[in-house]
Amino acid sequence: MLKKTSLFASAAVAALALLGTGESALAQTSLNDDTQLLISQLQTDKRAIMLKGLELTDDQVKAFSPIYDKFQAERKQQYERGADLLNKYASNYDSMTDDAAADILKDWFKLKGDQQSLLKDYSKKFSSVIPKTKVLRFVQIENKLNALTDFQAARVVPLAQ
Amino acid sequence: MRILPLALVLGLAVIASPLASHAQVQGVAADEQIVMKQVMTDKRAVYAKNLSLSESESRAFWPIYDEYEGKAKKLDDRFMTMLNDYAAKYETLTDADAASILKEKLAIEKDRIALKQAYTTKIAKALPAKKALRYAQIETRIETMMRSQIYGLIPLAQ
Repeated sequence: MLKKTSLFASAAVAALALLGTGESALAQTSLNDDTQLLISQLQTDKRAIMLKGLELTDDQVKAFSPIYDKFQAERKQQYERGADLLNKYASNYDSMTDDAAADILKDWFKLKGDQQSLLKDYSKKFSSVIPKTKVLRFVQIENKLNALTDFQAARVVPLAQ
Repeated sequence: MRILPLALVLGLAVIASPLASHAQVQGVAADEQIVMKQVMTDKRAVYAKNLSLSESESRAFWPIYDEYEGKAKKLDDRFMTMLNDYAAKYETLTDADAASILKEKLAIEKDRIALKQAYTTKIAKALPAKKALRYAQIETRIETMMRSQIYGLIPLAQ
């Protein structure tokens, strides 16, 4: 499953794996080695796509990469929180109480807010080392990739009953 | 695994970075308006079908839903204004233009998350939290579907 048939195929598979779901059923997952491996694969693929898409000069790559790697490290923690949240959803799915649902909603919004804050914080950091047109391009690529994986993830998670 | 061809197509769109013209970017903005109008029409029916509301739940839910949609529409309008601005400046985009567009884009997203959270909280007070969660999930499905289509069409800054 991890063969690089495509960067985006891996990204999509990773998105599904992070959510620990099949096409129609929700199975509980844990942050096991496979999940960690898929997060790592997703991030490696994203890095390659980002660098290709940004079309930076060599000097810009040198300035951009260390900051981007820190961004990726923080995003990794958010992926892990997302996987934890899905585990919580999966473990409560068959007997979801209103309290559990409220708790999941609260955590989900916190994660979304934190993701947005991270993107904003790092956009500022990138603005000090690469042109702002490139920073806009960074956000556009990040948004496109997130839209792709978020959509695939959202459509395979069964709705609360 | 039937999702992968779609992922491939959309994925290629991310980095293909075609030499888009001003007219093409404007075309994206026009397409988005059509998509948004259709989605606004269909969303209500989607919720009516999928939330299985009782009569009393319906009386509580729909006014909150309509208020939310009214405010979300204003954010959509801001997004459209930003996109039209991007289209107008696309071929000669300066750093100052990019900074301005980026600032507005990030502000819209922040406001969108805050709005969604505020109204999901209101809905959770009016309905059982499980149904509020279901509402948020449906909203997310619709939103991510639109984003995957729209973001795939917007050409990268040059």
